[in-house]
Amino acid sequence: MHCVQIHESPSMKSKMKLKWCPASDVAFDAVPFFDEGVQAGFPSPAEDHLDLDLDLNSYLVQHPSATFCCRVEGDSMVGAGIQTGDVIMIDRSLTPQKGSIVLAVLDGEFTVKRVDVQDDKLLLIPENPKLKPIVVGEESHFQVWGVVTFVIHKV
Amino acid sequence: MGCGDLCDSQGVMSGASEHMIALVDCNNFFASCERVFRPNLVSKPVVVLSNNDGCVIARSNEAKALGVKMGAPAFKSERFFAHNGVHVFSSNFALYGDMSKRVMDTIRPEVDDMEVYSIDEAFMVFEGPAAEERARALRLKVEMWTGIPVSIGLAPTKTLAKIATRIAKKMPEMKGVFALRSPADIKRALQRCEVDDIWGVGHRSASKLKSFGITNALKLTLADPGWVRRNLSVTGVRLQKELQGTVCSPVNDAAPRKKNIRTARSFGAEVKSLAGLKESVGTFAVNCAMKLRGEGSCCASVTVFVSTNPFKPQATQYHGARTIKLDVPTNDNLEIVAAAMRALGEVFRSDCTYKKAGVLVGDIVPSNQVQLGIFDSVDRSKRGTLMKSIDTINAQMGRDKVRLAVQGFDRRWRLKQERLSPCYTTRFADILTVSV
Repeated sequence: MHCVQIHESPSMKSKMKLKWCPASDVAFDAVPFFDEGVQAGFPSPAEDHLDLDLDLNSYLVQHPSATFCCRVEGDSMVGAGIQTGDVIMIDRSLTPQKGSIVLAVLDGEFTVKRVDVQDDKLLLIPENPKLKPIVVGEESHFQVWGVVTFVIHKV
Repeated sequence: MGCGDLCDSQGVMSGASEHMIALVDCNNFFASCERVFRPNLVSKPVVVLSNNDGCVIARSNEAKALGVKMGAPAFKSERFFAHNGVHVFSSNFALYGDMSKRVMDTIRPEVDDMEVYSIDEAFMVFEGPAAEERARALRLKVEMWTGIPVSIGLAPTKTLAKIATRIAKKMPEMKGVFALRSPADIKRALQRCEVDDIWGVGHRSASKLKSFGITNALKLTLADPGWVRRNLSVTGVRLQKELQGTVCSPVNDAAPRKKNIRTARSFGAEVKSLAGLKESVGTFAVNCAMKLRGEGSCCASVTVFVSTNPFKPQATQYHGARTIKLDVPTNDNLEIVAAAMRALGEVFRSDCTYKKAGVLVGDIVPSNQVQLGIFDSVDRSKRGTLMKSIDTINAQMGRDKVRLAVQGFDRRWRLKQERLSPCYTTRFADILTVSV
């Protein structure tokens, strides 16, 4: 089964929201159902009620020209729900905040970590108890490439 | 002197209702695109090669500093590149096209009018005050959103904006933005701009101008208009006016519909057989049909051209072209390929070895203005649905996944692209992988 499980990534653990919509909630039950007696050519009464299809792009991508996808390998961010093989969405137009999960470039290499500032020091914090935070030294080249906004995980 | 001051102050005073034309130019665009996804190459020399890995078509600043020339043949530079740690890429137009679109889409909401001029350049209009400040903010936004560094030149006309952009690029202290506004600034810039560097002055016009002692742009603005008209035609007069600050070529939002669409390639390996040519010409024809559908057009003529390798003078030289007229304009793969195959059959000579072939579709009309033929036997709505399905599948599964048999499966004629980077932004299989 291929299913897209989407969690909003900032402060993911606390706010993981997966909402089930029971079939009866769906707007279509307001549409009368004709099972007989409708002549061919009678305009569908549902026509005026038809909505656009759910568009995952508009849900996942706020700034199309600044949004990029990338695939993740490794387990340093499992605590944030980012696992090996997952696709993450990165929005370059967003300014990283304290606590944002970012795709960063540290000395020419990409990495995904949560950023934090403690005692005037920039920290890259993994979401895995086995790993320690990385202190970004003043001599190292550091740049936030973009802010991670969503994780797409195949279940 | 007094007059100059007066002009200057007027120029500044009228700033409140200013209309400035700006040119955005992406710095070393193809090399910059590669670097966005390879941050380890920042501040390293990077070059991008033309189709078939022929010659250098883009250089990072570091590569320029090493003395790598534009157009340098790749095979001659192989050792130089290896020795100097130059990172070499085949051209990846799927990537550059997508990055270009991102840059243009990022700019569009910030300006009052925009004309995309090429893959890495766009003219724009800033109305009202603070044009330079807006341009600086825009430059930062484009770099943040897309990772592509750009330079912006502002001036009263396109031709002057082009000169301003050169200055923005060449003088690091301008931080990527330069505005040519006051008559004194414009005069100084024109004096420093050689005629070869004026936008729209070709090699021949430049030598002609120089032979009359017109060596820089300022001298061209001072030349007698009658003389300019006689020697450089009406194009020269427009150019002169633009340099003087009069708009002759406004920023034009709507791109004109293409007059014809062309797909042509040099082959990685030379092709001798008709079957081999059919594969490539078939693929080019499908490519043209796809582009027509993309812009909602149909074509009424299909031209096929083939040529031998001009760098092998001992072999038989031949350049042939044949055009087939269509009864009903179309953008259907099957019809355009059929016409291309007929044209190829007529143009093909079995005693030659071919290095290049191409397909050009012409007499383009909008799809909704197609005149149907009385004897038309094609079910056009059904075929339209078929083409839409093919385009949808190919967009999802990869280019040419659904193809006509004539396009073949053995693609020896295809481009030589030995150092192609992944299509990071247009193919799921190619997206960036990050170890975390």
